[in-house]
Amino acid sequence: MKKSLKPSDIAKPSDCLCHIEQGELSPLPPPYEDFNQATITVLKPEKIKNIESSLDDTVAIGIPKPASPEEEEKLVSQFLSGLKKLFERDNNWTFLQPLMLSMEHCAKCQTCSAACPIYETSGRKEIYRPIFRSEVLRRIYKKYLKPGGRITAKLTGDIDLNWTTIARLAELSYRCTLCRRCATVCPIGVDNGLINHEIRKLFSQEMGIAPKEIHEKGSLQHLRVGSTTGMNSLAAKDSAEFIQEEMEEITGYKVEIPWDVEGADILLLHNAGEMLAWPENVGAFAIIFQAAGISWTLSSEAAGYDAVNYGLWYDDVQFSRVAVKHADIARRLKVKKIVIGECGHAHKALTVIADRLLTGDLNIPRESAMVTLENIVLGGKLQFDPSKNNFPVTLHDPCNIVRSMGIVEPQRRILRKIAPRFREMTPHGVENYCCGGGSGFAIMSGYNFGQWRNLVSSRRKFLQILNAFHDEPQDIPKYVCAPCSNCKGSIRDITDYYHAEERSGLHYGGLVELIINALAGMKKPMIRFGEKPSWEP
Amino acid sequence: MGFYILSYVCIAVFIGATGCLIYRQITLPLHVRWEIYPVRHETTARVAYGGSYMEEVNWWNNEYKSSHINELKYMVPEILFLRGLWKENRSLWLVSFPFHFGMYLMIATFGLLLLHAVITLGGFPAFTAGNADEALLSGLIAATGWSGLIMGNIGSLGILYKRLTDREMRIYSSFADYFNILFIFIFFLAALITCLLGDPLLEGAKAYTFGLLTGGHSPHPYVPGQTVFGRTTIVLASLLVAYIPLTHMSHMYMKYFLYHKVKWDDAPNQRGGKIESAIMRNLDLKPTWQAKHVGADGQKSWHDIATSAPKEMK
Repeated sequence: MKKSLKPSDIAKPSDCLCHIEQGELSPLPPPYEDFNQATITVLKPEKIKNIESSLDDTVAIGIPKPASPEEEEKLVSQFLSGLKKLFERDNNWTFLQPLMLSMEHCAKCQTCSAACPIYETSGRKEIYRPIFRSEVLRRIYKKYLKPGGRITAKLTGDIDLNWTTIARLAELSYRCTLCRRCATVCPIGVDNGLINHEIRKLFSQEMGIAPKEIHEKGSLQHLRVGSTTGMNSLAAKDSAEFIQEEMEEITGYKVEIPWDVEGADILLLHNAGEMLAWPENVGAFAIIFQAAGISWTLSSEAAGYDAVNYGLWYDDVQFSRVAVKHADIARRLKVKKIVIGECGHAHKALTVIADRLLTGDLNIPRESAMVTLENIVLGGKLQFDPSKNNFPVTLHDPCNIVRSMGIVEPQRRILRKIAPRFREMTPHGVENYCCGGGSGFAIMSGYNFGQWRNLVSSRRKFLQILNAFHDEPQDIPKYVCAPCSNCKGSIRDITDYYHAEERSGLHYGGLVELIINALAGMKKPMIRFGEKPSWEP
Repeated sequence: MGFYILSYVCIAVFIGATGCLIYRQITLPLHVRWEIYPVRHETTARVAYGGSYMEEVNWWNNEYKSSHINELKYMVPEILFLRGLWKENRSLWLVSFPFHFGMYLMIATFGLLLLHAVITLGGFPAFTAGNADEALLSGLIAATGWSGLIMGNIGSLGILYKRLTDREMRIYSSFADYFNILFIFIFFLAALITCLLGDPLLEGAKAYTFGLLTGGHSPHPYVPGQTVFGRTTIVLASLLVAYIPLTHMSHMYMKYFLYHKVKWDDAPNQRGGKIESAIMRNLDLKPTWQAKHVGADGQKSWHDIATSAPKEMK
């Protein structure tokens, strides 16, 4: 029997602290048995020779290796300085109380472990256990920052602090999707997801260490160009024009997408990724709002056409900057409320987290599109023909909309009205499993991270989806409704990776596409299984 | 008298340490919302599936309501019977429930002992040894005491066994974790032996509690300090009272903050309200984070930084 890893082992240098062997991942049912022996492709030595890669089979950040022992020492001391700041009110008022409570009261009962989809599906790899990284941080904090810590560490749990510890801890903070399923089952209320979030913050805010996709090409680009997609305002408007034409072509419905309408009732914030990857989602929103006679607008101002806020996952400062921009744009447009489109983390960022950041006239009312859409669909203004959606549909619950915001039923009430063959996944609602792409994973694919995501972090969701349709013939088309851009990205990737469209007839999309598909009077259906949309090569 | 002094000191440590813990919590700055659903003070209909007030159109126009009854409906079985553990970790519940319930029963027993001492001290004529009221209270003391001791012994021994034999728990257990459980187990064991060896009705405990209120005077001929196990019980019980708030075992009552101030803190920020004032104070704080993009220098406030562009863009 293999020796179990302990938290203190993180400090012991080795080429790879944790490796997933063939056959260790949770088995997939037929016709996916050929993936049961799959392992993560080994990274070529030349690709990783200059970066830290000793944690496991993948790399999320790619931290450059320090050039000298002196540099290592400097980084260790920077880490300790950042750790200290996590416990200071001036530096971390945002999460100080939740962090202190979670750091001080864990009973190490392991109830959280079984709730974690990554830990469970990885073959219970110790480093992915929710309390592993928390315990590493707790031990470092107690030993190196608490008075007398070096003595009491012998009694409360010892750990060595060196560059290996830190480099691995930074990487390890990107092996948790922050789905917070672990926190819902903790009998004491400890939140290991939160501790992970704080580790990411320490690295970003003190040491400038974060995955490129999230920081450099993410929040920095968002603030610089206007969108994490790299689209500037002009390009966004061009996309919208294209979407209008496509929508007319597809549905026969002439739609106008309004821009910068001062005094509109609603400022609709889309994840700009929708405009590029799933333009039909943006078009469907436009048709629904127009058909319902709603006064609404998009904003063409930088950041105003992209609802994302990647800071939510790793950096309070970047988070605050983007949230303030969004609110300020709405304030200047004098809209009555902001409605957040199908983007889970944008929901939580602007509605919940920014609620304790925005004051005065920046505190513009904010509403989930699930709620706005329910009001339209069930309000009787629009007529629907549910028989147009006569195919099996299941609903994915984005963690940020459901578990973190309690918006559970509006989207279900819509589906019950327009999708006669809707069925739930097990478990669902606030007990859902993450898509595996949460906290930025969906947009991270450097090195072999995309493969790790498909094989490990999205695996539970894939199993859930297959299970939801287990009673349906394999060859009929099935629809996974995922009202969140990041979740859609992950589900798209697992569908492709496991060839699930060919093998199980799996298709995915948002909620508004289903609404439009059932809308009476449309010339053509919006959902056409097996047909590639015109915007795909 | 030495035992009483020890007990007084330990009680003072408990009050002081617990006071510090609570004071620290209530003086921390208001944090951002980080609630997780189900939030148990929501309406009964929403609690059933984990919904929130944000499911309503224009929710900000509705009055924010919080149901204490619904909170209690969840928290009472959670605290008394560890419902969450029963649902999520049954094998641990089998030992954790008797352990925790045993502790609660010991706290209840101490409460009843105090009541007995106060009534005796008050010299109420209706409450003399042997009459019905006194017999009822003494019976209750014996019942809760014995139940607590039996459950506490089973539970603490069970947790110790589980921590030692369960690989998952063992990897994360430190010397301090074993020490805490062993400490509590020895207390329960010493108390049980004291009762078994000649004090089945907890007369010694009654006398000692009376003495706690009178600075050591006791009308009773038997006090537990007369036996080795009795002395051990007094010392361990006193030390345990002082020790709990110094360890993570304070979760017994700090759980209030974990649930009410984090997990269920969904109170919305309204213009001109208390929350907004607290946010404005927070935005005046001056961070010193060193990463280039932050642009902190110890002089700029959170407000300045949140409304500025990252350094890389300039």
